[in-house]
Amino acid sequence: MESKNVLVVGSGISGVASALELANEGVSVYLLEKEAVIGGHSASFCCKATDICSKCSACVVFDKIKEAVIHPQIKLLTNSTIRRLSGELGNFRVEIIQQPQYVDEEKCIACGLCTEVCPADPKAIYLPFAGATPFSYILDEGLCLRFRGERCDLCQRSCPTKAIEFELKPKERELNVDAIIVATGFDVFDAREKGSLGYGRYPNVLTGLDLEQVFTREGYLRLPTNGKEPRNIAFIQCIGSRDEGHGYCSQVCCKYAMKLAGLINYQNPDTQVTIFYIDLQTAGKGFAQFYEKYKESMRFVRGVPVEILQTLSGELEVRFEDIYQGKVCRDTFDLVVLSVGISPRKNSWDLARILGVNLADDGFFDVRDPLGSNETNVDGIFLAGTCQGPKDIPDSIAHGIAAASKATQVLAESASQRRGN
Amino acid sequence: METKIGVFLCNCGGAINNIDFDAVVKKVAKFPGVTYVNLSSNLCLKEGREKMISCIREENIERVVVAACSPEFQEHIFREVLEKAGLNGHLFSMANIREQCSWAHDGDVTMKAVELVKMAVNKVRLLQPVEKKELPVNREVLVLGGGFSAINTALQLSRVGLRTTLLEKEAALGTGPEELESFYGFDTGSMISAVEGDENIEVLTSAQMMAVEGKIGDFSVRIKKEGEEISRKYGAIVLATGYQTALALDSEPKLRAKDVAISGINIVSQEQFCRMLRNSSLETEPKTIGFMFDFSDENSRFTTLATLNNALEAKKKWGSEIYVFYKSVKVDSEGMEKLYQEARDCGVVFLKSEAPPRITAENGRVKIEAKDVFLGEDIILACDVLVAEELYLPAEGAENLSSLLSIRRDSRGFFQDENVHLYPVGSEKKGIFFIGGCRGDLDLGRVLADISSVVMKVHELLSSGKILVAVERVKADPQKCVACLTCIRVCPHGAIQLVRVDGSKEVAEISDLACDACGICAAICPAKAIEFQGYRDEEILAQIEAIQEL
Repeated sequence: MESKNVLVVGSGISGVASALELANEGVSVYLLEKEAVIGGHSASFCCKATDICSKCSACVVFDKIKEAVIHPQIKLLTNSTIRRLSGELGNFRVEIIQQPQYVDEEKCIACGLCTEVCPADPKAIYLPFAGATPFSYILDEGLCLRFRGERCDLCQRSCPTKAIEFELKPKERELNVDAIIVATGFDVFDAREKGSLGYGRYPNVLTGLDLEQVFTREGYLRLPTNGKEPRNIAFIQCIGSRDEGHGYCSQVCCKYAMKLAGLINYQNPDTQVTIFYIDLQTAGKGFAQFYEKYKESMRFVRGVPVEILQTLSGELEVRFEDIYQGKVCRDTFDLVVLSVGISPRKNSWDLARILGVNLADDGFFDVRDPLGSNETNVDGIFLAGTCQGPKDIPDSIAHGIAAASKATQVLAESASQRRGN
Repeated sequence: METKIGVFLCNCGGAINNIDFDAVVKKVAKFPGVTYVNLSSNLCLKEGREKMISCIREENIERVVVAACSPEFQEHIFREVLEKAGLNGHLFSMANIREQCSWAHDGDVTMKAVELVKMAVNKVRLLQPVEKKELPVNREVLVLGGGFSAINTALQLSRVGLRTTLLEKEAALGTGPEELESFYGFDTGSMISAVEGDENIEVLTSAQMMAVEGKIGDFSVRIKKEGEEISRKYGAIVLATGYQTALALDSEPKLRAKDVAISGINIVSQEQFCRMLRNSSLETEPKTIGFMFDFSDENSRFTTLATLNNALEAKKKWGSEIYVFYKSVKVDSEGMEKLYQEARDCGVVFLKSEAPPRITAENGRVKIEAKDVFLGEDIILACDVLVAEELYLPAEGAENLSSLLSIRRDSRGFFQDENVHLYPVGSEKKGIFFIGGCRGDLDLGRVLADISSVVMKVHELLSSGKILVAVERVKADPQKCVACLTCIRVCPHGAIQLVRVDGSKEVAEISDLACDACGICAAICPAKAIEFQGYRDEEILAQIEAIQEL
């Protein structure tokens, strides 16, 4: 087979899964990422193992990202977005624009000397997170003194490999590809939209994603206000799922909430965990047993609270309906975790217009045929992962592989048709 | 003559500042076998790597130690350097003097750095090369099953040019659960005729797999079809054998859905209810219908789907009153929340209850008693028909298949171990894959993703007709092996078998194709006959000795 080129837009877990499968088939893959590091949301999730594996799949993500980075058939294009598209299946021309990367990732050896000397507060040059890929520091224009008109070049002078450049302009380039896989992922629901729950106002109200990052960073949970161990934690499910405007289940929140609660419970068995829910989504491999295990040690309450107030002593008073007694109850907690769901990317509309791909009513990318969730209305443009609808990590990987499979099949067919003609 | 070892130190551009590198260089140069020591500040960058290649060549270095950052980041790059310089990439060891030494401690850590380098030098001296080789594989695929997933897999495999045998135990294809056709709008008929017209697909119906031997790329399968035995060879095996449902009624043995007759009993299965809906000559249309799900089994995605579809259909066709008793509605599949909303909007009444309702017969009708959690009151409902709760179970014969193929099942008896590294479609044995209902309670969207994933994985393995593998990375020594079978029992990948050597003696042999280099066999072998390159006992002991010596 003649060599093929495929562009994968988005380097979250499904984009990486697609890219790896295609690359293993000998296809040349451009893996486009708008951020400076690859991996998307899933790269920031924490391992939720207790004394045994809780099957959260976070480690699988790390392995796959690493595999993709060192694959000779995959070319990473970070800080990049698509500006224009023309052509058709077998011959797409994609104009991309690459924002300046002030720290050259090829030269950066992640020694950290630049961060040490950076006078900005917070630091303007840093490693995005431990284990970031590429393992390279990034410079934040918004924080950097030099980009605010001052004459600082301390980081540049400290860099042993001369990896830092300031005078850079965005680069434009054109790619020729046979097919495109869209894997742009999701936006985490902004819990501030539910004002009555106090997220953003009360420091001890966190989202599920915040909690993931706390565990990734620290390895244990402490109250943001006083650094003490929380004694009484509530998880509130379906924040940004199954409501007006989100006519779907996000599929991940029951799983991550229960696994994070399991981890908290394991680290400190005295901590009381309450989970407020509508319907528990406990189907799926191994998850029913997981629920069985925690059914007794955690408190499960039907119904989603609508209001949280902070008391004078700093505790959080959660008001909810006790449906068995038919009255409003109040309970106080040290910490409340809002299990935020998966929302469509707010900028999907732009990409949809550039690519000519349809969006569905709920804001996710639309599929051509209900019996094929990878194919769009445009020949040669495929969907992978949560940009098509909510999915957990294993489902996103499966969907990513499936997109690569569909692309391979379509390219093989169009090649044999061309030979036939 | 002693092997020439080259040691490349790197101070990471000055970021390792609590090690006295001059002292390290002096000490390391005296280690036996070390013929070259060099300090660099940017070993992983292009200039550093190029310099390393020329050094290896000029100094005739045979084995390489790099003392720098974590192997997590750069090991693969340095292995490439070795290959480029003409050395085997396995003759390499890395000492992490950055994350695990310099950055882990305050104050001077020169001694620890020397120790780490000494350990790496002691190890690298004993390493043996591991070569890579292409081995041929059979390009044909065996797909077990004759339902939607099996048929679609065969059609998609044909699309990418792979030949398939569809092995179905029933007399025809497409005899799976009928209701799926109406729920999803499948056209099974046209799929079957597509299979019949496809020269890449061979169909064996009324056929059963009797025995399997061999490994990925080379499975020998004995098949029994209508009394005759056929022997065939395949490169990969795909299981798409589906599931079965049973009514969750208090009866032993469990009633299978298809065993309950419609006549005389007004407790029916989802499938029977589907048939009632399609029956145009039904004598009396049920006026009140009850449904139940999610009491006996958390894995109720499928029964939820069946209930919502059937309830909507009955509402539209008969205008019946419909009451659904359930604990939690499983909407974690695409489109399910919408379907649930649609059913509610159409007037289907959903009654949540924590405990399963009590079912009794009363005057020829079914009496359902439950405590509704929202009303907080007991509800008593007499209905004409109750569509019973169904359990989603592994298909008949799943146990037999798992022992034929020696593959593990999950705690509920479905194929595929509960190990996230095997998801979505992999098994612990290379070349054996699972699709859809046989590996768990999956909705159509997930089944479709499974099918395409398997096609991709199989194509990757077999399309070129050969696989590149590491040769004898894990090897059993025929002299030491006493054929105790311990390794064969513990190997999760089915990579080890007994072979006869020297006429009579039987010893364990590890297949390079099937081996996943997990090392379990090497650790457990009581005769210490199995060696895992890079982790051999003497290599580990030499590292321990290195610390004792200093």
